[in-house]
Amino acid sequence: MDTHHLASEPKSVAARQEPDSLSLFFLVFKTGLLTILTLGIYRFWQTTRIRQYLWGSTSANDSALEYTGTGLEKFIGFLIALVILALYLGVFQMLLFYFGLSMFNVSSSATNPTEQARYLVVVYIHILAVLPLLFYASYQKRRYMMSRTRWCGIRFSMEKGAWGYVIRAIGYRLLTVVTLGALAPLATFKLEQYMAERSYYGDARIKQGGSWPRLYSSLTHLFIGIVILLVCLGIFTWGYNGLATALLCVGGVWVAIGVVYYQVKSFAYMTSHKTLGEEVSFKAEPRTGAIIRIYFIAAVGMGVMSLFIIFIISVMTAIFDFGISSVTVGFIGAALSYIFLFLLFQAMKMVMITQPILGHYVQTFSIINPEPLHQIQQRQADDAVGAEGVADALDVAGAF
Amino acid sequence: MLQAQFFDGVTAYRHEVCISVLDDQQALVIHAESLADPVRWELADLRALRDSSSTKQLTLTRYVSSVDERDPARLIVTDNDFIAWLRATQPDLFRRDVRKRTWLRMAGWGTGAVVAIALMLFVILPGMANILAQAIPIEREVAFGKAVTQQIEWVLSSSNAGMQRCDSPEGVAALDTMLERLTAGRDMHYAIDIQVFGHSEVNAFAAPGGQVVILSALLEEAESPEEVAGVLAHEIGHVERRDPMRQALRAAGAAGLLSMVFGDLAGAAVVGEHLLTASYSREAEVEADRFALEMLATAEVDAAGFANFFTRIEGLEDGDIATPEHLSTHPDSSWRGTQAQQLAESQGGTTAILTPAEWAALQAICD
Repeated sequence: MDTHHLASEPKSVAARQEPDSLSLFFLVFKTGLLTILTLGIYRFWQTTRIRQYLWGSTSANDSALEYTGTGLEKFIGFLIALVILALYLGVFQMLLFYFGLSMFNVSSSATNPTEQARYLVVVYIHILAVLPLLFYASYQKRRYMMSRTRWCGIRFSMEKGAWGYVIRAIGYRLLTVVTLGALAPLATFKLEQYMAERSYYGDARIKQGGSWPRLYSSLTHLFIGIVILLVCLGIFTWGYNGLATALLCVGGVWVAIGVVYYQVKSFAYMTSHKTLGEEVSFKAEPRTGAIIRIYFIAAVGMGVMSLFIIFIISVMTAIFDFGISSVTVGFIGAALSYIFLFLLFQAMKMVMITQPILGHYVQTFSIINPEPLHQIQQRQADDAVGAEGVADALDVAGAF
Repeated sequence: MLQAQFFDGVTAYRHEVCISVLDDQQALVIHAESLADPVRWELADLRALRDSSSTKQLTLTRYVSSVDERDPARLIVTDNDFIAWLRATQPDLFRRDVRKRTWLRMAGWGTGAVVAIALMLFVILPGMANILAQAIPIEREVAFGKAVTQQIEWVLSSSNAGMQRCDSPEGVAALDTMLERLTAGRDMHYAIDIQVFGHSEVNAFAAPGGQVVILSALLEEAESPEEVAGVLAHEIGHVERRDPMRQALRAAGAAGLLSMVFGDLAGAAVVGEHLLTASYSREAEVEADRFALEMLATAEVDAAGFANFFTRIEGLEDGDIATPEHLSTHPDSSWRGTQAQQLAESQGGTTAILTPAEWAALQAICD
């Protein structure tokens, strides 16, 4: 609750994240190039080095976070996941294909009802087969990252519990879908609570306070956006197309902003109601406007960059059009420019979107009453065999 | 004596410490009132954290044999001269220590992963594809084949604006005559459905369920109806051996696997898929050739046309960049031509497959 303005305000320390954007850009670019040169194998080391950098630039109370994971253990985790998933997914896909249920032989645009039904069945079977793995991967990823994070020399950690998370995640998500999103706050709250309450810093456990109905206020803007879209649908059926189109745009943008608003506000609520041990608590005050501004600036920046590149390419083509001696030279040129652009935009995305958003969440985070932290004791190292291999194999590893 | 910060790795308490290097330059000692005893770290065991964003400070730890090969204690030094001195004198400062048996584990799991993937790609998927291709109901295969042909038509028309289906009645009649002559007296699994698409590439394919597509350039380039008959017999060979279905089944399984191995490096996955297809299909091509030669022999069609066709394909290939055989989906053309030539020389009485009028109608099927 926002009672911190009272006179007896406890001491608090703010977190900071101050990376050097230029060196982060070159780190991402350089490791991205190595990833391409090694046919993707270096990507485990790339992620690890980016995390080391981001963690190292994040501090609270003048003490930086440390990331102790290694590319090698991530690679081994990936190999382990590959052995298991190779057998599972390969056989699964083929059986679906045999029963005529593969994505290959159904179409979403089929006109007869049986074909449509078959298409839906295929979609649901795929979701059912892969979804548990995605939830499993997201728990394991967070667990691995916690176990490889230290602050003041003390380890973070998360208990085992990925399959329990899978069952709850499927249950709560299903409930959300069945209630047309009305129970989304319940899912958000319970799933975060499940992860948070299995988390430790040293020997101190995290507790999740608060209650899920309080998350409904975070849905405000999403709700307004949906109402606008519904009104728009009504007007459209009455035949006022111009007005409906205008409303459609407004409603669409409002929904998009509403989604960001929900993410930001629910994160703030959940974080501000966590406690570590008995006395240490947190405050998170991220702002939706700041996040949207980051996206906006990035969109403008990358857009300008794209225009510039299109200009360069058309000039180059005009110059070399007569000069390209063979198809091979042209092909190699195209491949090299594709690789360069891929690396450029990967690095730009990190520096203009991923890190700024992470940074905003960090900068608006503070620890309230940090004094008892000094008594926290070290905990045993957690081997976390398998690292986040499933997430890496299924390519849900995210930006870092 | 230098000022520094020290976390002992046991509690989160920050010790404000003084550090000094012993006279023999072998170790540094960390003193503080808050520490029960001074801590001694051998200089050779010192390790610094890498990829740090801060250039003003260095976080030190110590090599020990543990889960992550590091002492949990951290020493943060900010003195520039001391940092420079450490960098200059300690060669192992940024060494990455790897736990014993890590390489062994990696080799073990790496082999496991390679074996699992290879087993899937080269044994289980092809094996299952064989079984399933035999077991799949014909109607479903035909429906799938029609969808594939449609897809091919769509892809071709996007690269060639004037693409159309060619079906002049006389041309279709000539194709039917050719097909009847080739398949007469044979027990066929599939009803062959031949389509001609107007396209400038010399090519023909077989899709699942008896669908055969011939591109019009092949008809125009062919010097005799026997050449076309050879190509058609080859494609019928694929159809009867259910190669297209097997290929599709195998690809369905392999696509997921390859995208897992290469992550979001889509290009590498596509190249991998191509290499894989190439290795499977070369064998299938040899078998289809054998089938075609046998079919031509039975139907008493002169195989010299088929041989001639390969000789000319070779001429076309020479003009372009030559594809090494293991990268190509088809066996070496000169070898295939020789096979056909040998048959042609041993053949006794052959009769023309189409009359000149029928052949002219077939070549004009798109007009």
